[in-house]
Amino acid sequence: MRIFVCVKAVPDTNANLKVGSDNLTINPQGVKYVMSPYDAVAASKAVELKAANEGSELIALSVGKDNKESRQRIKDALALGADRGVFIKDDAAHRDPLGVAKALVAAIKAEESCDLVFFGRQAVDTQASAVGPMVAQLLDIPFVMDCISLEIADGKATVKRSAEGRVETLEVSLPAAFSAQRGLAEERYAKLKDIMKAKKKPQADFDYAFPDAGYEVTAMTPPPERPAGKIVGEGPEAVGELLRLLQDEAKSLSF
Amino acid sequence: MVTADHYKFDLREFKFLLLEQFPLETLTQYKKYEHFTWDTAESVLEECIRFAQEVIAPLNASGDRTGCKLTEDGKVITPKGYKDAWNQFYESGWNMIPIPEEEDGMGAPALFVVTTNELFSGANTAFYMYPGLASGVQEVIEAVGTHDQKEKFLPGLRDGRYGGTMCLTEPQAGSDVGFSKSTAVPHEDGYLIEGTKIFISSGDQDLSENVIHLVLARLPDAQEGTKGLSLFIVPKYRLNDDGSAGAFNDVKVGGVEKKMGINSNATCVLNFGEDGGCLGYLIGEPHGGMKEMFRLMNYARIFTGVQGVSVASTAFLNALDYSRSRMQGSKLEDFGKGDAPRVPIIAHADIRRMLLEMKSKVETMRALCYKLAMHWDMSLCVEPGSDEEVYHKGQLELLTPVVKAFCTDQSFRVCELAIQTYGGYGYIADYPVEQYMRDAKVFSIYEGTNFIQSLDLVGRKLKLRKGANLIDFSSDIAKFCAKHGEHPVLKDEVAELELASNQLTGASMALMGFARKNINLVSLFATRYLEIMGEVACAWQGLEAAVIAHDKMQGLDDSDSDKHFYEGKIATAKFFVNNILPGVSVKCAVLSKGDDSAVTISEKAFSTEH
Ligand SMILES: Cc1cc2nc3c(=O)[nH]c(=O)nc-3n(C[C@H](O)[C@H](O)[C@H](O)COP(=O)(O)OP(=O)(O)OC[C@H]3O[C@@H](n4cnc5c(N)ncnc54)[C@H](O)[C@@H]3O)c2cc1C
Repeated sequence: MRIFVCVKAVPDTNANLKVGSDNLTINPQGVKYVMSPYDAVAASKAVELKAANEGSELIALSVGKDNKESRQRIKDALALGADRGVFIKDDAAHRDPLGVAKALVAAIKAEESCDLVFFGRQAVDTQASAVGPMVAQLLDIPFVMDCISLEIADGKATVKRSAEGRVETLEVSLPAAFSAQRGLAEERYAKLKDIMKAKKKPQADFDYAFPDAGYEVTAMTPPPERPAGKIVGEGPEAVGELLRLLQDEAKSLSF
Repeated sequence: MVTADHYKFDLREFKFLLLEQFPLETLTQYKKYEHFTWDTAESVLEECIRFAQEVIAPLNASGDRTGCKLTEDGKVITPKGYKDAWNQFYESGWNMIPIPEEEDGMGAPALFVVTTNELFSGANTAFYMYPGLASGVQEVIEAVGTHDQKEKFLPGLRDGRYGGTMCLTEPQAGSDVGFSKSTAVPHEDGYLIEGTKIFISSGDQDLSENVIHLVLARLPDAQEGTKGLSLFIVPKYRLNDDGSAGAFNDVKVGGVEKKMGINSNATCVLNFGEDGGCLGYLIGEPHGGMKEMFRLMNYARIFTGVQGVSVASTAFLNALDYSRSRMQGSKLEDFGKGDAPRVPIIAHADIRRMLLEMKSKVETMRALCYKLAMHWDMSLCVEPGSDEEVYHKGQLELLTPVVKAFCTDQSFRVCELAIQTYGGYGYIADYPVEQYMRDAKVFSIYEGTNFIQSLDLVGRKLKLRKGANLIDFSSDIAKFCAKHGEHPVLKDEVAELELASNQLTGASMALMGFARKNINLVSLFATRYLEIMGEVACAWQGLEAAVIAHDKMQGLDDSDSDKHFYEGKIATAKFFVNNILPGVSVKCAVLSKGDDSAVTISEKAFSTEH
């Protein structure tokens, strides 16, 4: 089997993000980047499947800025157990999901075959959940979102996905694409030995000429500051008023 | 609140040290470390950070509260979560960071090992002492074990099936290790060991299937004192051929100490051979035990210094965070105005004094640890037998007791300042700083008390190579001062350093004079002498950082976080030189006066009632 996992560099969720002086991009200064956490779950699952299916190859793909922080995500995937990495440089300040999807598809098509493609359920920075389904559509293969379990047998995948109030079980023919929800695989910590081995694994660049985007980001503004708190009174006498406000104004309480 | 994420560190600081002040590139020029690029270092560092923050930091406070328990049948139970953390530590292979690449390790230089040690130790000091000591044992067996001993013990020490300890202390033999009485009698399978060791860190646990003790004991024909001690490998369970734990080797846990800090590390009384069934294996030469143990001790002393920095650093950063959020009082300018806006306490001058004192101590001590590590690495890179090797080894030897004692004494003081910065909340167990202070106290006691370190410095290290180590140290500082004597913003501080360094030379001469006149005075001033040297060394390292920072910040604008980082380096150095370093001249004056009232006062005069 040939398995692909698509990973994205995103700011660490603990990072204190600030809109840059151009009012168009996040100021990357001092921001630590990581592999988007759901992508890490996807990668862990892909590694599991590779180990369970002898002769499989796992390829990590990433579209990102041509810098260390982005390229490091390929290395992260290699350290987790991917066999090789393909990096697609993209210097646009913002790239629309369709552009990213097309680039990934081009890279996948450049390989001999494709059986499984993994994504995280969403990148935690843009939170669009768009690239995965688009890639599947462009490859004309089935896509299952928010998978929480996945087994492969007889050229078919049996997948469970979480949906509102229920868990759905689906059977999908391969090739197919999936996005990972928390719980799909036990998250792995890279081992020292594997990080050292990763250094020697092949990493290639795939050149792709991105088409013009269908949209343009014209401004980026920080979220409005939280309004200052309100002191409604002091001591036990204030409780009644506080409850009334929470109930009527903030509508955060209901009895 | 004491939360899982108590542990704070500054990644930019580590990058500064490894890329700017002590560039790894200096080492990658040599064959030994040519493989060790920043790229590799960074990927591993990121994973170490994850492990430190996500796995062991959350166990720090809970482990402290639970402590270790001794069951009725003599087994030690570590706190909840420790076993999983131990397994994960070894699965990830963090103990293999210093091990050569050929043996599946990372082959990292000491510079990097210092970094990862700080992360692990800062996140959970007591936990990290379990794998830390096992690594020490691993190191000794690698260095001096026989082929068979290596085959037998190394695999389990490397993959976490075995823990490890170092057993020197006995009830009557603490600082005076030479007074230890444990014995070793030849036996067809090795030696029969008998004796009681106390205060043994990681002495027993439920983390690994076996524990490999390194025990100092006396052979029947041994002379008195340290020269009569031999070193033995003593497993808790004898090893089966496949390395698994076999029969109990008569190493009983006599007790687990209740103590002030590092509560989740079991400090044990160990009774060897109570029933005459404890087998040990001689490692190294007969009667050469101290020499072999010192391989571990030197390494352990350096990392005790790093432990000091690690805890002091997270104490400082927690206090810093708190000072930004705690609202109390108003600006001095608004004094007396009842309706003046309340400010976060970081706005107050005295809080800033404490913050900057903590910052300047932490960062300069850290740099000193890296300085030592660089000498260590360089001594392994340069031509064996060359003058350069002699120089680097000399500096490594000279700085080891300084790093151990200075960084640990100051670590405790930094923790105390962190508590003071918090005010009442710092004293309360809801916040992490009170635990830090309790944990940090032992650093100045174990691995040889800090007095023993100063004795090592003045009694041994100064004398080595006929005093050339100190001369080299001083001339490195003199070179730095000559080079930067006209520095546009730091020239006054450089001049202060030059003065202090000359005073250190003067103090060294005075100390030599004491040695000839009244040996008690050497002992009386040794601690202060070490402190003088620590302060001079830290001021130097702080200024070196500041000079680099000054160069790098040119042209950066305020929106660049590096600009603030570099400004911090300059402020740190200036504060240290202008507020701490002046203590050197006072101490030197005190030393040259040589007041001996502490030795001449009669014991009765201390108190007539007791
Ligand atoms: C938590 C903890 C963990 C430990 N872990 C280990 C371990 O893993 N392995 C191990 O072997 N030991 C361990 N120790 C023991 C530790 O190394 C000793 O406590 C230490 O060496 C001091 O010995 P002592 O306690 O007997 O004090 P003493 O030697 O009795 O010293 C008491 C005081 O006298 C001073 N003093 C002693 N001799 C002289 C002298 N000649 N001149 C002037 N002053 C002197 C000391 O500096 C000290 O201030 C541990 C101790 C603790 C508390």
